[in-house]
Amino acid sequence: MKETDVAIIIPVYNEARVIKQTIQGVLSSFPLVICINDGSIDNTAEEIEKTKAILINHPINLGQGAAIQTGIEYALKDPSIKYFVTFDADGQHRIEDVKNMLAYIRKEKVDVVLGSRFLGATENMTPLKKAVLKAAVKFSNFTTGLLLTDAHNGLRVFNRRMAEKLDITMPDMAHASEIIHRIAEHQFAYKELPVTIAYTDYSKAKGQSIMNAVNITFDLLLQRVTKR
Amino acid sequence: MILIQVVLIAAFILLLLKFLANPNSYQIKAWKKIIGILFVFLAIMAVLFPDLLNHIAHFFGVGRGADLLLYLVTLAFIFVVFSQYVSSKQEQKRLVKLARKLALLETELKSKK
Repeated sequence: MKETDVAIIIPVYNEARVIKQTIQGVLSSFPLVICINDGSIDNTAEEIEKTKAILINHPINLGQGAAIQTGIEYALKDPSIKYFVTFDADGQHRIEDVKNMLAYIRKEKVDVVLGSRFLGATENMTPLKKAVLKAAVKFSNFTTGLLLTDAHNGLRVFNRRMAEKLDITMPDMAHASEIIHRIAEHQFAYKELPVTIAYTDYSKAKGQSIMNAVNITFDLLLQRVTKR
Repeated sequence: MILIQVVLIAAFILLLLKFLANPNSYQIKAWKKIIGILFVFLAIMAVLFPDLLNHIAHFFGVGRGADLLLYLVTLAFIFVVFSQYVSSKQEQKRLVKLARKLALLETELKSKK
Protein backbone atom coordinates (compact mmCIF):
# COMPACT_ATOMS: atom_id res chain seq x y z
CA MET A 1 0.00 0.00 0.00
CA LYS A 2 1.33 3.38 -0.95
CA GLU A 3 1.07 6.18 1.56
CA THR A 4 -0.29 9.16 -0.36
CA ASP A 5 -0.59 11.62 2.53
CA VAL A 6 3.15 11.63 3.16
CA ALA A 7 5.79 13.96 1.72
CA ILE A 8 9.38 12.71 1.81
CA ILE A 9 11.69 15.72 1.87
CA ILE A 10 15.26 15.07 0.77
CA PRO A 11 17.80 17.90 0.82
CA VAL A 12 20.45 17.11 -1.76
CA TYR A 13 23.88 18.65 -2.19
CA ASN A 14 26.38 17.06 -4.58
CA GLU A 15 25.04 13.51 -4.29
CA ALA A 16 24.95 12.61 -7.99
CA ARG A 17 26.49 9.20 -7.28
CA VAL A 18 23.78 7.92 -4.95
CA ILE A 19 20.72 10.17 -5.20
CA LYS A 20 18.93 8.23 -7.93
CA GLN A 21 19.22 5.00 -5.99
CA THR A 22 18.03 6.67 -2.78
CA ILE A 23 14.99 8.21 -4.52
CA GLN A 24 14.00 4.96 -6.21
CA GLY A 25 14.15 3.16 -2.88
CA VAL A 26 11.78 5.73 -1.37
CA LEU A 27 9.44 5.94 -4.38
CA SER A 28 8.61 2.26 -4.12
CA SER A 29 6.70 3.03 -0.92
CA PHE A 30 5.93 6.74 -1.05
CA PRO A 31 4.66 8.48 -4.21
CA LEU A 32 5.56 12.04 -3.17
CA VAL A 33 9.28 12.63 -2.95
CA ILE A 34 10.49 16.23 -2.91
CA CYS A 35 14.17 16.74 -3.65
CA ILE A 36 15.71 20.11 -2.97
CA ASN A 37 18.86 20.43 -4.99
CA ASP A 38 20.80 22.91 -2.88
CA GLY A 39 22.97 24.44 -5.60
CA SER A 40 24.93 21.27 -6.36
CA ILE A 41 27.87 21.67 -8.71
CA ASP A 42 27.80 18.10 -10.00
CA ASN A 43 24.97 16.60 -12.08
CA THR A 44 22.68 15.94 -9.12
CA ALA A 45 19.80 17.79 -10.83
CA GLU A 46 20.01 15.57 -13.93
CA GLU A 47 20.06 12.45 -11.79
CA ILE A 48 16.93 13.60 -9.93
CA GLU A 49 15.17 14.42 -13.20
CA LYS A 50 15.59 10.80 -14.29
CA THR A 51 13.21 9.82 -11.47
CA LYS A 52 9.60 10.69 -10.66
CA ALA A 53 10.63 12.84 -7.71
CA ILE A 54 9.82 16.55 -7.66
CA LEU A 55 12.91 18.65 -8.18
CA ILE A 56 13.30 22.07 -6.60
CA ASN A 57 16.52 23.86 -7.48
CA HIS A 58 17.96 26.38 -5.08
CA PRO A 59 19.66 28.98 -7.32
CA ILE A 60 22.63 29.06 -4.93
CA ASN A 61 23.83 26.86 -2.10
CA LEU A 62 21.94 27.84 1.05
CA GLY A 63 22.57 24.97 3.45
CA GLN A 64 20.71 21.88 4.57
CA GLY A 65 18.39 23.66 7.01
CA ALA A 66 17.26 26.06 4.29
CA ALA A 67 16.71 23.17 1.89
CA ILE A 68 14.49 21.30 4.36
CA GLN A 69 12.45 24.46 4.99
CA THR A 70 11.98 24.92 1.23
CA GLY A 71 10.75 21.34 0.95
CA ILE A 72 8.32 21.83 3.83
CA GLU A 73 6.91 25.01 2.30
CA TYR A 74 6.42 23.25 -1.01
CA ALA A 75 4.70 20.27 0.60
CA LEU A 76 2.46 22.50 2.73
CA LYS A 77 0.84 23.86 -0.44
CA ASP A 78 -0.77 20.46 -0.97
CA PRO A 79 -3.59 20.18 1.61
CA SER A 80 -3.77 16.39 1.27
CA ILE A 81 -0.32 16.00 2.82
CA LYS A 82 -0.64 15.12 6.49
CA TYR A 83 2.85 13.88 7.34
CA PHE A 84 6.29 15.24 6.53
CA VAL A 85 9.45 13.18 6.57
CA THR A 86 13.01 14.50 6.42
CA PHE A 87 15.31 11.97 4.84
CA ASP A 88 19.03 12.03 4.05
CA ALA A 89 20.14 11.84 0.45
CA ASP A 90 23.16 9.61 0.96
CA GLY A 91 21.15 6.45 1.55
CA GLN A 92 22.01 5.99 5.21
CA HIS A 93 18.36 5.84 6.31
CA ARG A 94 16.12 2.81 5.92
CA ILE A 95 12.60 2.82 4.48
CA GLU A 96 11.47 0.31 7.11
CA ASP A 97 12.32 2.82 9.81
CA VAL A 98 10.25 5.51 8.07
CA LYS A 99 7.27 3.14 7.83
CA ASN A 100 7.66 2.23 11.46
CA MET A 101 7.75 5.90 12.50
CA LEU A 102 4.72 6.72 10.33
CA ALA A 103 2.74 3.86 11.82
CA TYR A 104 3.52 5.27 15.26
CA ILE A 105 2.55 8.87 14.48
CA ARG A 106 -0.70 7.71 12.85
CA LYS A 107 -1.66 5.64 15.87
CA GLU A 108 -0.43 7.72 18.80
CA LYS A 109 -1.21 11.35 19.52
CA VAL A 110 2.23 12.80 18.93
CA ASP A 111 3.26 15.68 16.67
CA VAL A 112 6.72 14.43 15.83
CA VAL A 113 8.66 11.18 15.80
CA LEU A 114 12.44 11.46 15.86
CA GLY A 115 14.84 8.78 14.82
CA SER A 116 17.53 7.86 17.31
CA ARG A 117 20.79 6.19 16.51
CA PHE A 118 21.42 5.35 20.12
CA LEU A 119 18.20 3.43 20.67
CA GLY A 120 18.78 1.39 17.55
CA ALA A 121 21.67 -0.32 15.93
CA THR A 122 24.41 1.82 14.46
CA GLU A 123 26.72 0.36 11.96
CA ASN A 124 30.31 1.50 11.74
CA MET A 125 30.24 4.67 13.83
CA THR A 126 33.67 5.92 14.90
CA PRO A 127 34.19 6.28 18.70
CA LEU A 128 35.01 10.00 18.33
CA LYS A 129 31.83 10.72 16.43
CA LYS A 130 29.88 8.81 19.03
CA ALA A 131 31.43 10.83 21.87
CA VAL A 132 30.75 14.17 20.16
CA LEU A 133 27.15 13.21 19.40
CA LYS A 134 26.58 12.12 23.00
CA ALA A 135 27.95 15.44 24.23
CA ALA A 136 25.69 17.29 21.79
CA VAL A 137 22.69 15.41 23.17
CA LYS A 138 23.60 16.37 26.76
CA PHE A 139 23.93 20.01 25.74
CA SER A 140 20.66 19.94 23.82
CA ASN A 141 18.73 18.27 26.64
CA PHE A 142 20.17 20.76 29.11
CA THR A 143 19.10 23.79 27.08
CA THR A 144 15.67 22.56 25.95
CA GLY A 145 14.50 20.44 28.86
CA LEU A 146 13.58 17.63 26.48
CA LEU A 147 14.79 14.12 27.11
CA LEU A 148 16.33 12.79 23.92
CA THR A 149 19.00 10.25 23.19
CA ASP A 150 19.99 11.67 19.80
CA ALA A 151 19.73 15.34 18.87
CA HIS A 152 21.18 15.32 15.38
CA ASN A 153 19.42 12.60 13.49
CA GLY A 154 18.31 13.46 9.98
CA LEU A 155 15.31 11.14 10.03
CA ARG A 156 12.16 12.80 11.39
CA VAL A 157 8.42 12.42 10.85
CA PHE A 158 6.06 15.21 11.86
CA ASN A 159 2.50 16.29 11.28
CA ARG A 160 1.08 19.35 9.56
CA ARG A 161 0.67 21.31 12.77
CA MET A 162 4.40 21.12 13.41
CA ALA A 163 5.32 21.68 9.76
CA GLU A 164 3.43 24.96 9.80
CA LYS A 165 5.19 26.13 12.96
CA LEU A 166 8.69 24.87 12.18
CA ASP A 167 10.10 27.86 10.26
CA ILE A 168 13.75 26.79 10.18
CA THR A 169 15.96 29.89 10.08
CA MET A 170 19.34 28.26 10.67
CA PRO A 171 20.43 27.63 7.10
CA ASP A 172 23.30 25.25 7.90
CA MET A 173 23.67 22.19 10.09
CA ALA A 174 22.48 24.04 13.20
CA HIS A 175 18.93 23.43 11.98
CA ALA A 176 18.87 20.06 13.78
CA SER A 177 19.18 21.83 17.11
CA GLU A 178 16.74 24.48 15.99
CA ILE A 179 14.09 21.83 15.29
CA ILE A 180 14.55 20.46 18.82
CA HIS A 181 14.18 23.98 20.18
CA ARG A 182 10.93 24.43 18.25
CA ILE A 183 9.59 21.24 19.80
CA ALA A 184 10.36 22.61 23.25
CA GLU A 185 9.07 26.09 22.42
CA HIS A 186 5.67 24.95 21.09
CA GLN A 187 5.49 21.95 23.43
CA PHE A 188 4.92 19.48 20.63
CA ALA A 189 4.36 15.92 21.74
CA TYR A 190 7.41 13.95 20.66
CA LYS A 191 8.61 10.37 20.59
CA GLU A 192 11.95 8.86 19.78
CA LEU A 193 12.10 5.57 17.93
CA PRO A 194 15.18 3.50 17.20
CA VAL A 195 16.52 3.72 13.67
CA THR A 196 19.41 1.99 12.01
CA ILE A 197 21.94 4.14 10.28
CA ALA A 198 24.36 2.58 7.90
CA TYR A 199 27.61 4.52 8.00
CA THR A 200 28.93 3.42 4.66
CA ASP A 201 32.29 4.58 3.38
CA TYR A 202 30.39 6.93 1.12
CA SER A 203 28.37 8.57 3.88
CA LYS A 204 31.39 8.74 6.16
CA ALA A 205 33.37 10.57 3.51
CA LYS A 206 30.45 12.93 2.95
CA GLY A 207 29.52 13.37 6.62
CA GLN A 208 30.17 16.60 8.41
CA SER A 209 33.39 17.13 10.25
CA ILE A 210 33.38 16.89 14.01
CA MET A 211 34.80 20.42 14.14
CA ASN A 212 31.50 21.65 12.78
CA ALA A 213 30.09 21.06 16.26
CA VAL A 214 32.00 24.18 17.30
CA ASN A 215 30.34 26.25 14.57
CA ILE A 216 26.90 24.95 15.44
CA THR A 217 27.27 25.63 19.16
CA PHE A 218 28.51 29.16 18.52
CA ASP A 219 25.68 30.00 16.13
CA LEU A 220 23.09 28.66 18.52
CA LEU A 221 24.44 30.61 21.46
CA LEU A 222 24.62 33.75 19.36
CA GLN A 223 21.02 33.31 18.33
CA ARG A 224 20.04 33.33 21.99
CA VAL A 225 21.72 36.70 22.50
CA THR A 226 20.42 38.26 19.30
CA LYS A 227 16.69 38.34 19.48
CA ARG A 228 15.10 38.09 16.10
CA MET B 1 40.05 47.93 40.69
CA ILE B 2 41.19 51.01 38.89
CA LEU B 3 38.67 53.11 37.03
CA ILE B 4 39.72 51.96 33.54
CA GLN B 5 39.04 48.34 34.43
CA VAL B 6 35.52 49.17 35.52
CA VAL B 7 34.92 51.27 32.42
CA LEU B 8 36.27 48.66 30.01
CA ILE B 9 34.43 45.69 31.50
CA ALA B 10 31.18 47.64 31.64
CA ALA B 11 31.68 48.76 28.06
CA PHE B 12 32.32 45.18 26.82
CA ILE B 13 29.19 43.82 28.44
CA LEU B 14 27.05 46.75 27.37
CA LEU B 15 28.21 46.54 23.78
CA LEU B 16 27.57 42.85 23.57
CA LEU B 17 24.10 42.88 25.03
CA LYS B 18 22.77 46.17 23.80
CA PHE B 19 24.10 46.19 20.28
CA LEU B 20 23.68 42.51 19.53
CA ALA B 21 20.13 42.41 20.81
CA ASN B 22 18.74 44.72 18.21
CA PRO B 23 21.34 46.01 15.78
CA ASN B 24 18.91 47.76 13.49
CA SER B 25 16.84 49.81 15.90
CA TYR B 26 16.94 53.57 15.35
CA GLN B 27 18.37 54.09 18.82
CA ILE B 28 21.35 51.89 18.11
CA LYS B 29 21.87 53.54 14.77
CA ALA B 30 21.82 56.95 16.47
CA TRP B 31 24.29 55.79 19.13
CA LYS B 32 26.63 54.51 16.45
CA LYS B 33 26.67 57.98 14.90
CA ILE B 34 27.18 59.74 18.22
CA ILE B 35 30.07 57.45 19.10
CA GLY B 36 31.52 57.94 15.63
CA ILE B 37 31.39 61.73 15.89
CA LEU B 38 32.83 61.58 19.39
CA PHE B 39 35.68 59.44 18.12
CA VAL B 40 36.53 61.88 15.35
CA PHE B 41 36.29 64.83 17.75
CA LEU B 42 38.61 63.11 20.22
CA ALA B 43 41.01 62.18 17.44
CA ILE B 44 41.27 65.81 16.32
CA MET B 45 41.75 66.97 19.89
CA ALA B 46 44.44 64.38 20.44
CA VAL B 47 46.28 65.58 17.34
CA LEU B 48 46.02 69.24 18.36
CA PHE B 49 46.91 68.72 22.00
CA PRO B 50 49.03 65.58 22.36
CA ASP B 51 49.28 66.04 26.12
CA LEU B 52 45.50 65.96 26.49
CA LEU B 53 45.42 62.22 25.84
CA ASN B 54 47.91 61.67 28.64
CA HIS B 55 45.81 63.72 31.03
CA ILE B 56 42.68 61.77 30.19
CA ALA B 57 44.61 58.52 30.55
CA HIS B 58 45.85 59.52 33.99
CA PHE B 59 42.31 60.39 35.00
CA PHE B 60 41.17 56.86 34.17
CA GLY B 61 44.17 55.31 35.88
CA VAL B 62 45.99 54.39 32.68
CA GLY B 63 49.74 55.01 32.50
CA ARG B 64 50.06 56.55 29.05
CA GLY B 65 47.82 58.17 26.49
CA ALA B 66 48.96 55.65 23.91
CA ASP B 67 47.74 52.81 26.10
CA LEU B 68 44.34 54.42 26.46
CA LEU B 69 44.19 54.77 22.71
CA LEU B 70 44.98 51.08 22.29
CA TYR B 71 42.18 50.12 24.68
CA LEU B 72 39.67 52.28 22.89
CA VAL B 73 40.71 51.00 19.48
CA THR B 74 40.41 47.43 20.73
CA LEU B 75 36.93 48.16 21.99
CA ALA B 76 35.95 49.75 18.70
CA PHE B 77 37.39 46.82 16.77
CA ILE B 78 35.49 44.21 18.76
CA PHE B 79 32.31 46.21 18.37
CA VAL B 80 32.73 46.49 14.61
CA VAL B 81 33.48 42.79 14.20
CA PHE B 82 30.45 41.74 16.20
CA SER B 83 28.04 44.09 14.56
CA GLN B 84 29.31 43.03 11.13
CA TYR B 85 28.82 39.41 12.10
CA VAL B 86 25.28 40.00 13.25
CA SER B 87 24.31 42.03 10.23
CA SER B 88 25.83 39.50 7.84
CA LYS B 89 23.74 36.79 9.52
CA GLN B 90 20.66 38.92 8.97
CA GLU B 91 21.59 39.48 5.35
CA GLN B 92 22.01 35.73 4.97
CA LYS B 93 18.49 35.16 6.27
CA ARG B 94 17.07 37.63 3.77
CA LEU B 95 19.03 35.97 0.99
CA VAL B 96 17.71 32.54 1.96
CA LYS B 97 14.12 33.81 1.81
CA LEU B 98 14.68 35.37 -1.59
CA ALA B 99 16.36 32.29 -3.05
CA ARG B 100 13.66 30.01 -1.64
CA LYS B 101 10.92 32.12 -3.19
CA LEU B 102 12.72 31.94 -6.51
CA ALA B 103 13.17 28.17 -6.30
CA LEU B 104 9.52 27.58 -5.43
CA LEU B 105 8.31 29.89 -8.21
CA GLU B 106 10.50 28.14 -10.75
CA THR B 107 9.16 24.74 -9.70
CA GLU B 108 5.60 26.04 -9.95
CA LEU B 109 6.24 27.34 -13.46
CA LYS B 110 7.76 24.05 -14.56
CA SER B 111 4.78 22.05 -13.29
CA LYS B 112 2.37 24.26 -15.25
CA LYS B 113 4.10 23.60 -18.53
